[in-house]
Amino acid sequence: MKKLDRYGYLFIAPFWVVFLTFSIYPVFLTLYYSFTNYTGSPGEEIVGFANYTRLLTDTYFIEAFFNTIKIWGVNFALQMGMALLLALLFSDLRLKLKGLNFFRSFFYLPNLITISSVALLFGILLDWQHGSLNMVLMKIGLISNPIDWLAEPVTAQLSVSLILTWMWFGHSFIIVMAGVSGISTDYFEAAHIDGANRWQMFTKVTLPLLKPILLYIMITSLIGGLQLFDLPMLITDGIGSPDGSLNTMVLYLYNQAFKYNNYGYASAVAYGLFLITLIFSAIVFKGMFRNERATQKKGA
Amino acid sequence: MRKLVSLLTIGALSVGVLSACSDGSEGSSSEGSKDDVLKIWSFTDELKEPIKTFEERNGVKVELTIVPTADYATKLKPALESGVGAPDVFTGEIAFLKQWIDAGYWENLSEEPYNAEEVSKDIVPYVFDLGKDKDGNVRALSWQTTPGGIYYKRSIAKEALGTDDPAEVGEMMSSMDGLFEVGEKLKDKGYKLFPDEGSIRWFAQGNDPQAWVNEDNELVLTEGKENYFDYAKELRENNLTALAPEWSPSWFEGMDKPIKVKEGGKETETEVFSYVLPTWGLHAVLKENAKDTAGDWAVTSGPSPYFWGGTWVGIYKDSKHKEEAYDFIKLMTQDEEFLTEWAKETGDVLAFNPVTDKIKDDFSDEFLGGQNNYEFFLGEAESIKPGIVTKYDQQLDTLYGAAVNSYVEGKKTKDEALKEFKKQVKNAYPDIVVD
Repeated sequence: MKKLDRYGYLFIAPFWVVFLTFSIYPVFLTLYYSFTNYTGSPGEEIVGFANYTRLLTDTYFIEAFFNTIKIWGVNFALQMGMALLLALLFSDLRLKLKGLNFFRSFFYLPNLITISSVALLFGILLDWQHGSLNMVLMKIGLISNPIDWLAEPVTAQLSVSLILTWMWFGHSFIIVMAGVSGISTDYFEAAHIDGANRWQMFTKVTLPLLKPILLYIMITSLIGGLQLFDLPMLITDGIGSPDGSLNTMVLYLYNQAFKYNNYGYASAVAYGLFLITLIFSAIVFKGMFRNERATQKKGA
Repeated sequence: MRKLVSLLTIGALSVGVLSACSDGSEGSSSEGSKDDVLKIWSFTDELKEPIKTFEERNGVKVELTIVPTADYATKLKPALESGVGAPDVFTGEIAFLKQWIDAGYWENLSEEPYNAEEVSKDIVPYVFDLGKDKDGNVRALSWQTTPGGIYYKRSIAKEALGTDDPAEVGEMMSSMDGLFEVGEKLKDKGYKLFPDEGSIRWFAQGNDPQAWVNEDNELVLTEGKENYFDYAKELRENNLTALAPEWSPSWFEGMDKPIKVKEGGKETETEVFSYVLPTWGLHAVLKENAKDTAGDWAVTSGPSPYFWGGTWVGIYKDSKHKEEAYDFIKLMTQDEEFLTEWAKETGDVLAFNPVTDKIKDDFSDEFLGGQNNYEFFLGEAESIKPGIVTKYDQQLDTLYGAAVNSYVEGKKTKDEALKEFKKQVKNAYPDIVVD
């Protein structure tokens, strides 16, 4: 019996070795570095909380935080809106839309393209003087002068948000659709018989029952969104131009570490990011469940 | 350049990961034979040819690891710091050169048995000097020299300037005023002097460029450096550029065909007259992208000499194969027979005088309408002053370029843009003293 027990540990050992070396060890090493002035070569000195006090007053980091929230927020609202709308259409009993499988893959396709290709592609589409988007808009007379999408902070952030929406709405759609199919049609039929219109069915039946799924999408998207890095890095000059509007938290971390060799400070940025993610996830979680309890009470 | 490179390399990241895996498995299975292999790391496949020659001649097996530029420094650094899996020989692009020399990763080549000082007279001075550390010891050598020029289209020059002779066109553009005059003449005929405002950055500083950071680690913002703001703005306001930023799709497009520019609500088709690029720009950029206009190009000098890029090579300080390593570096930088062949094949402008003296007279490039670009660039190389390269250059240039751009676009005043630049420098490099 005893021998068998030990086998169990052997089987989970590979995971633990990898997990400890590549996840736990770096996490603590980063914590250590965040208290030093490490520049990538040995010989770092402990500087106490200096990196953290700098972080709290670092306007670039604060700016990066708000940039990230703005870009992610717009993207998330649009993405969820589209995913819910599509799910609503495809799950409608009266519409009976065909080709769900086709559209599911079709909407998901943008997510399969590597981000560098996406950046290159949209770099060409959004080009100021020669981009297709401006040409189309000018041809149909919506604008008379080309817009330099990636040179104005607002349009640059909006462009990134929209590209992210395009990449991710299919993903959210699939998950929402899975959630919707999990809802028993009895509810809809009952609501239908009770004379509920589509909107009422959506807000009173679908949405409440989808809450766990929506929470899941919200948290994963939030964690991913706070780590927004690749697209802003690739689509302009890599330091957050125009005017620092694409400077996201992870891009800032990356530049501090790998461009400017301030590994110590970058580690503090990483922990700042970790804390922010933690706080946000907690808020989302709490908010969602408090509502749940409140409605339960009301119902009772 | 950075942007292009990062786009390409992030795409190639996965390849890097894969090759890293195969590295590991090889290492464990054939530890014994691995000791006899000379390990070389670089960020391009440029070294493949010389390695082949080296293997044939010296009977040494070489293992070349190519790491894409964007990951090169990040991957190399841990290997060099720890010595685990470190290469015996590795190359360094100008952007990292000073950083790695300062860090002491490269063997001191001024000492026995290398005595690299002996070849100093045979190598273009600025190239040789850049490979030295602050105590004057040679740490890395280079085989190439990368002075820059202005590549222009002959047909346009003939039409707008009355001549396509490189010497005459160069004379017209030998001062900033002259350059702008040429720009106006081109504008009258419907052409654009440069693709973008950044093209002028090398010339804006004048004949006496200064390093970004001085000996006391202070940021140096000379009048010459600040002039870049004004010249760039002047280019934009006088409509002398095609609004095609460097490395953007339209920048490449402008090499080969007319491009559309929207000005004051009117769309016009225009052609870009010239591109400001160094030696490697001819082979790596122009020839690759300008197929239809091949033969219609020429290269001449701008208001002031400059250089852009360049790759150095040195021996890892803890290498166990220093002798073979230096043999390879000698082949790469001082071997007459090999370098002659190499130059003829690639057109790379070499830094080794004994070879260039021999071959420079009868060089001509079809793409440049038969012009002898070799002789031209060697002449330019002579007027380049060493000592202005710092380890901060690449990042500071990027930040400065963004500052100038925000002024040109009219988003900030010059003072605001400069203030923001200084703030960014302070943030990126806390040890640089910014006034």
